[in-house]
Amino acid sequence: MWTDEPTNRREFLRRNAMGIGNMALATMLARQNLLATPTSKPVVAQSFDARARTTLGEPKAKAMISLFMHGGPSHMDLTDPKPELSKRHGQQYPGEIQYSFANRASKKLKGCQWEFQKHGQCGTEISELLPHTAGIVDDICLVRSMYTGGNGHEISIRFWHGGIRGVVGRPTMGAWLTYGLGSEADNLPAYMVLKDPGGNPTDGASNWSNGWLPPLFRGTVLRAKEPRIHNLTPPDYLRGELQRQNLDFLRSLNERHLAANPGERDLEARIESYELAARMQVAATEALDISGESEATKKLYGINDKVTEEYGKRCLIARRLVERGVRFVQLFLAGQPWDNHKQIAKYLPQVCARTDKPCAALVRDLKARGLLDSTIVHWGGEIGRLPVTENNGGNGSNDGRDHNGQGFSCWVAGGGFKGGMTYGETDEFGHRAVKDIVTPNDYQATVLHQFGLDHKQLTFQYNGQEKTLTNEHTCRVVKELLA
Amino acid sequence: MLNRRPISLLIALFAMTGDVRAITFEKDIRPILREHCYDCHGAAKELKGQLDLRLRRLMVKGGKSGAAIVPGDPSASRLLTRIREGEMPPNGKLVPSDQVSVLEKWIKAGAPTARPEPESIGEGLGITEEERSYWAFQPIRRPSVPNYTTGVRTPIDALLLKRLKQKEISLSPEAGKLTLIRRAYFGLIGLPPKPEAVKKFLADKSSTAYEDLIDELLASKNYGERWARHWLDIAGYADSEGHTEVDIERPYAWRYRDYVIQSLNDDKPFDRFITEQLAGDELMDQPKGDLTPQQIELLTATGFLRMAADGTSSGANTTEGQNQVIADTLKIVSTSLLGLSVGCAQCHDHRYDPISQKDYYHLRAVFEPAFNGAGWQPPTRRRVSLYTEADRKAAGEIEKVAVKLSQERSAKQKEFVLAAFAKQLETYPKDLQPKLRAAWETTAAKRTPEQKKLLSKHPAANVNNGTLYQYNQKAADELKKLDKGIKEQRAKKPAEEFLRVMRETPGKISKTRIFHRGDPKHPTDEVQPAALTIGSPPDRQRKFQGNDPNLPTTGRRLAYARWLTSGRHPLTARVLVNRVWQQHFGRGLVSTPDEFGKLGEMPTHPELLDWLADEFMASGWSLKQLHRTIMTSQVYRQSSKFDSARAAADPDNQLYWRKPVSRLDAEVVRDSILATSGALGSLFLGAPTAVLADADGQIVEGADPSRRSIYIQVRRSRPVSMLATFDAPVMEVNCAKRQSSTVAPQSLLMMNSKFVLKQAGKMSDRILKESPVHSPPKFAFDLDQLTAVMKAGWSFGYGRYTPSNKWTKPFTIFPYHDDKYWKGGKKMPDEKLGHTQIWAKGGHPGQFAAIRRWTSPSTGTVSFSGSFGHPSTNGTGVIGFLVSNTNELHGQWTIKTKTVKTELKNLKIKAGDTLDFIVDGNGSITSDSFTWTGAITLKSDNGTVSTWDVEKGFYGKGDYKVVPAQELPKRITRAWELAYGRPPSAGELDSALEFVRRQLEHLAGHPVEKHEPLKLAMSNLCQSLLNSNEFLYVD
Repeated sequence: MWTDEPTNRREFLRRNAMGIGNMALATMLARQNLLATPTSKPVVAQSFDARARTTLGEPKAKAMISLFMHGGPSHMDLTDPKPELSKRHGQQYPGEIQYSFANRASKKLKGCQWEFQKHGQCGTEISELLPHTAGIVDDICLVRSMYTGGNGHEISIRFWHGGIRGVVGRPTMGAWLTYGLGSEADNLPAYMVLKDPGGNPTDGASNWSNGWLPPLFRGTVLRAKEPRIHNLTPPDYLRGELQRQNLDFLRSLNERHLAANPGERDLEARIESYELAARMQVAATEALDISGESEATKKLYGINDKVTEEYGKRCLIARRLVERGVRFVQLFLAGQPWDNHKQIAKYLPQVCARTDKPCAALVRDLKARGLLDSTIVHWGGEIGRLPVTENNGGNGSNDGRDHNGQGFSCWVAGGGFKGGMTYGETDEFGHRAVKDIVTPNDYQATVLHQFGLDHKQLTFQYNGQEKTLTNEHTCRVVKELLA
Repeated sequence: MLNRRPISLLIALFAMTGDVRAITFEKDIRPILREHCYDCHGAAKELKGQLDLRLRRLMVKGGKSGAAIVPGDPSASRLLTRIREGEMPPNGKLVPSDQVSVLEKWIKAGAPTARPEPESIGEGLGITEEERSYWAFQPIRRPSVPNYTTGVRTPIDALLLKRLKQKEISLSPEAGKLTLIRRAYFGLIGLPPKPEAVKKFLADKSSTAYEDLIDELLASKNYGERWARHWLDIAGYADSEGHTEVDIERPYAWRYRDYVIQSLNDDKPFDRFITEQLAGDELMDQPKGDLTPQQIELLTATGFLRMAADGTSSGANTTEGQNQVIADTLKIVSTSLLGLSVGCAQCHDHRYDPISQKDYYHLRAVFEPAFNGAGWQPPTRRRVSLYTEADRKAAGEIEKVAVKLSQERSAKQKEFVLAAFAKQLETYPKDLQPKLRAAWETTAAKRTPEQKKLLSKHPAANVNNGTLYQYNQKAADELKKLDKGIKEQRAKKPAEEFLRVMRETPGKISKTRIFHRGDPKHPTDEVQPAALTIGSPPDRQRKFQGNDPNLPTTGRRLAYARWLTSGRHPLTARVLVNRVWQQHFGRGLVSTPDEFGKLGEMPTHPELLDWLADEFMASGWSLKQLHRTIMTSQVYRQSSKFDSARAAADPDNQLYWRKPVSRLDAEVVRDSILATSGALGSLFLGAPTAVLADADGQIVEGADPSRRSIYIQVRRSRPVSMLATFDAPVMEVNCAKRQSSTVAPQSLLMMNSKFVLKQAGKMSDRILKESPVHSPPKFAFDLDQLTAVMKAGWSFGYGRYTPSNKWTKPFTIFPYHDDKYWKGGKKMPDEKLGHTQIWAKGGHPGQFAAIRRWTSPSTGTVSFSGSFGHPSTNGTGVIGFLVSNTNELHGQWTIKTKTVKTELKNLKIKAGDTLDFIVDGNGSITSDSFTWTGAITLKSDNGTVSTWDVEKGFYGKGDYKVVPAQELPKRITRAWELAYGRPPSAGELDSALEFVRRQLEHLAGHPVEKHEPLKLAMSNLCQSLLNSNEFLYVD
């Protein structure tokens, strides 16, 4: 009586669908003229799955963890020392400045009130606010010439994630990576987002949107508190054989339905999503359980300290996820804590204290486990801050810094990026990137390259147009950053 | 600002069409300058470097550093070189290279203009012919409808067919009737059709069956419940104030929600609906006395303008906080009714659309008097009471009595305290008493130092209202009783309810000033109320009177509403019909429903959009008529099936050659599950069901989980987990278009959440009781297989057995059971069976022996090890027999007040064979409670070993009656028709029966505490149906 049922999933996919893996690959091969050009392209219903795919070239990276720092960390106070700025503290900035908040703007130069020192063999200068990052400088590649051209948060956030300034509704880099590469883990989502207990980051769910890519490639959000995934396990009485039978039966219902409605991406994605959910029940429970980690590891991430505990746990979970084959993990902070318009002297040290140790621990831990070679770690915000005072009244203790998308820093480690190097420069005050400018598109092209993907060739057909992450903007793989 | 470049599209267009139309200043250059340069060189009075770029001749004239352009000579044009070198615009912003090359080409061509430039130019950027000619700002024109004869039901189809024909494809054939009825139900009322309704519709052969169905659904009150949700999305409806972390509740917002539901059900003309929401208060006289029902309705409507998040009564009552409320309200108004984002013009002229900063403040001035910035009232202080004169009078009478009671109580209290003090005074020496009394009677503040000392020396003399109970508990209790009486008296007052409204206080007219760079602390020039210039007729901005002498209020909002609904506004009707189209087809004709400007997408079918807008207005702005118009078209009625040939011509179905398949919205998923399980309540309108966080931190519906989702409280900070997981918007401002995501958390929710499991259980209860409307199909499955497996495991009954006479009364299953017992009936002793009963660990014989039967699911070897006990010291004890179905006696134990071991070793047994654990009285049947626990081990011939524990295998909960296997095809058919509206196919029924068999087989060996096996299996079957794509999607 089961003869009219395609019982085997893979057989089913073979029978009914052409996996997107083949699609993306076919597109790339065709671009390189490695495939014979078909005279007439048959239109088949597109079908997608998240199975791992082989890439062209030699990928250096298999996974990525992005520590996104919403709000715009103040590079002049953290990663980009400007002695001239400090020397001329209080004097007038000589050029033109674009402010976001004109009502509080001033041209008064604001020097850095924290010490910079050389660290590591490379001798990179890092601020005393980031003592732990200072300890890993030999493993990171610090870019001091990032440029988005827009000062606003959303404008730049969308540039970093979606490839075009300000435009919402595009797939994020995480979505593109999982679309292009699939997942190494067949029991965890390929793209996971670790949210802050305080809520969403600025620009909300757009930070992990699949845009017009199939919904399968949207970031799966983990809750900030236990249980990190709601409804992860069934009640005891369903666990095991009973639920397995339920899911088998559900699949037979869905496959019968799909056979009657071929080519519906959403229907396929939902079938896939039930299967993933079933595997996740086991795998995610295990992956999210950090109780088995050694005391030394927990200490490394600062889990023993109230200040660093929360972010430390998330960094540790991020490592456990990539260990288990998750492709892209991104950590967010609620709102935009680096947006220090006001009282920067008070708030900047706070957010540094919360994140510095866990971020550095992540790089150290990945390295110790031999995972850093194949895992890219990214740290940075969407913009930086201005070298002039943002005046908020009071005796100066209220002072802060306004937005700056014209020049700022970020760092990347692992996955074939060169450790112990700095790249690019801002002007003597830190306002504008002036040498070796890197845009988010350059960054995206370079990251994709490390994964064995060409940003121009990884395309998706939408509305009859070939879409790419970098949207055919002028950009390049920044080879200088690569080992 | 968004970084969109319409110019590059233009270039692409040139390239595609090979069009070599000349580049002109107005068409090509001004948009570039608007995007990058006009902030400093044109928009403001002050010109940086005295350079004005608004006209070609002004560019030639140049500024302080000379000419900006030299026509014909790009290299001599400073404008170009400064842009190229990145000096302009300042601050490192770059003009994209494609735009630079357009500039260069234009200069090279001699910098042509489309027409002679005006002699003089006023302030600001003005609006060019090119900007005005943008499609969205053109008047709505009813297009002529092509005269196609085939494949066309309505003008909609004809207008769509035009583009389909260009691609040489046609619409798909009509969908089946089942699909049509599901589409119509979900589309109009957001609930699945009942199987009875499906059957009726399928049987209805009349030519107007489908049209009748639509009319029937439009007349249903559920229609308003569904379509209100769409309007509430764009209105930004919430039951909390948001803005600050406190997110306090917004208690009376639901009246506005009910107003929307009822207006839609009444098919209130949409122009009227809009006018009421913008200016309901200006449509009525100043209320005198009680509010009439009509006045209540009009005031409730203005709740629309009170939907924005508002932190001004929760810690953000600042200039910025108030400004944010007004800005968000303008966003709601403009996105819902204009389809434009005007927000960026708060700080500077819009970079892409011809909306000046001044225009924004003109629009703000329309609403300013109602917001009354000078006398800002936070939400909690701007409510309108619904108290009537009669209520007030009744309350006054009640209060009078309460006051009297209260006075009586005070007198009584005084009396008690005095008495208690007098009594206490007695305990002191006589000579001390007068002094103590004098001190006590003096008020604390006036006591002399001696008196104070005296009282502190004798603390027990401090009798007062608070300590009275310590001296005389009875008196204190009596006072408490009086308190209760007073409270009860006050509770008799009619409850006071309120409306959240927007209304002007006559005579108070706040001025509107342009805020420098949008900063509310930096007001500049005053502006008067007016509509946006660009929607207004050419060269005649629609201005409104500052204060209408015919109305007590300014009349500004009323005038604005009248303009929007005049039929001449280019956007309002287009935006509305587009949104309705979006709900029916999953995508608007303009796919950016809140952005009709240059940043949005162009309409895929501009003529159809205009036709619909015109038709909508011509039908008296009837939304229900619009539904009929759309839903009776062929494009709506066509199949959703994929088709290779058509897909080749139009892969993304831009041309509507098939009806898109769509997932149910969050609320519809939840409501449909409730409807299918039978748990959906029918309560209509009213206060929302509050939400709360469960133990895991999931936000769930609280008091009444049976209500439709639209009646669940919308707390901005606490979105209901079930709904948010399926993409219900979390209201920050409002939502023009929902996402439809497919992610693992949704699947986990469907698989494991308490909500879904509970509803699956209810659905299974329901199908075990209800008869299907369809007969089950012919199936191949062998029901005997089910019978065998259904019998397996434990059953509980009575009978009579003796070793000598064997079965004198055969084993019969008890007629009654509950959570703990199987027995003769609810009442004990039962008329027929007396005390005969069985519970988890044991039982009691009565008129018959109590028998626990185990039936083997397979062939193999069985053993039993357990203990049999009789705890009572009274009576004559009990006899236990262990008997197999071959009537072979495997053990016999007579016990009194003791426990014995009972063993059975390696008995060969076949599938369906039984073992009976029979306990009877030993002569008398009093004090015969017994325990018989232990476990059976079955080694099946197929190698599996299973354990069957007596106690764990006990079940009983629920009102399930044993359903024979022959009944199951009907039960499953019922499940199918409830979930899908159709009976299962033969193949489906076969696989469902096989599923049930496998579940029962497993459960027989692994009984689940408190879950009867068949019920659990059926519940799992129901859950799979609820989880399935056919349930969650409409094709």
